[in-house]
Amino acid sequence: MNFTGNNKELILAHTSMKPVDLSYTVNVMLTPQFYTLKKEVLPLNYAYQAKRIAPSLFEGLVEEGRDHDYIVWKEGDEWVFLAYDMEMITAFLARKGFVLENVSKIFFAQQAVDLFDKPLVLGENEALVSLDDMIVVVPRGALMEEGPFLVFDNSFTPKKGVGLQDAYGSVLSMKQASTLAVIFTLFSLMFFVEGSRYSNNVQVGEAQMQELLEDYPSLQSKYTRDNIITKYKTIDTAERKKREIVKMVSDMIFKGVTLTSFDIDEKSYKVQFSCKDAQVANRVKALAKKNNLSTTAIAGSNDLKIEGAL
Amino acid sequence: MTWKRYQNELIALAAFVLMFIGYGYKAVQVSSQADTMASTKHSVGKIKEVIALKKIWADKKTTKNVEKLQTLIPVSKVQWSSKSKKVTASYKGLSAKELNKLVTKILNLPVEIQKLKIQKIASSYDVEFKCKW
Repeated sequence: MNFTGNNKELILAHTSMKPVDLSYTVNVMLTPQFYTLKKEVLPLNYAYQAKRIAPSLFEGLVEEGRDHDYIVWKEGDEWVFLAYDMEMITAFLARKGFVLENVSKIFFAQQAVDLFDKPLVLGENEALVSLDDMIVVVPRGALMEEGPFLVFDNSFTPKKGVGLQDAYGSVLSMKQASTLAVIFTLFSLMFFVEGSRYSNNVQVGEAQMQELLEDYPSLQSKYTRDNIITKYKTIDTAERKKREIVKMVSDMIFKGVTLTSFDIDEKSYKVQFSCKDAQVANRVKALAKKNNLSTTAIAGSNDLKIEGAL
Repeated sequence: MTWKRYQNELIALAAFVLMFIGYGYKAVQVSSQADTMASTKHSVGKIKEVIALKKIWADKKTTKNVEKLQTLIPVSKVQWSSKSKKVTASYKGLSAKELNKLVTKILNLPVEIQKLKIQKIASSYDVEFKCKW
């Protein structure tokens, strides 16, 4: 299987070619009519370094005011620099009947220089030959002998080509699309990792509950728990209330006040105080009011009665 | 092929959709965590409440502690009747000090007070007390 798209039909594009009518995807190899070549021996180690200096190498060699792209590779000790105008190339291909979406990759004849051991005829008047390891277009009449000639086929397809996606009207260039894709993918990874961490936190909470239930296995059932709570909560509330009443009553006993009787059961309470004089009785009343207890004065005395329901 | 024309946009869009799915996944997990945590917290709270309530109101030492009410006051003043987890006690002629001691003790016991009646007779107090646990 070839996933690079190099198994597609390779068409040699040159200025004198006949228009084509294709409904399938092809690769295109361009003759030197569409690019400018330069070879240099430079102390560079990597192609990206060479590509960075490529524009300066072609100053004065390519038409100014037009956008040029560059492709660089190493042949022996030399770096091969190739400048091309993608806009001009796509315009030419469109003129010759190529549907740009059907052009998978663009290659340059120089990339297949090793295969040019014989001339390759371009139409009736021109031929493609290799001179000093450089592919050039020469008039056919300049050839020393008439044949044999190279037969152009898919075997001329080089490994590395130029994609055309950016050239036929995409809003985003490949570089921009890749950058956006990387950013979005990083964010998505971040979200997935965070999501997974939240999911783990839930498991921790559940483990904590499981631990508690293991210590108190009788509380496994929610029904049991609710029943126990209902039972004891009722007792707890009622008993706290009773104790609160007793505490309030005891707080109301001071000098001049005597507890005559106190009676509390499960439903109500009844308290009677004997007060020394009216002033003490009033103070007891005020204290009762403060505790939201209602007092009743016993006729003919300073005694007070407090009653209420629980 | 039209899709090839928009290949770059499709790549960016696919990555964007992936990011959106990732965001959705995270949002679901956050929301689910909040719900589960709230539910777990509520359950843990309930369990702790049950444990605390049981510790108070179903304390096995309560019987032993209630028995102390019998010996807290001189035996001559006490009439004691105990059956299963129920006690009926009657105290006669208690001084104010003894009354305070007795009431404080009763209030600190985890029992259901069914009746607590204090009556002042001359300078002393009579107490009737009925409880269960």
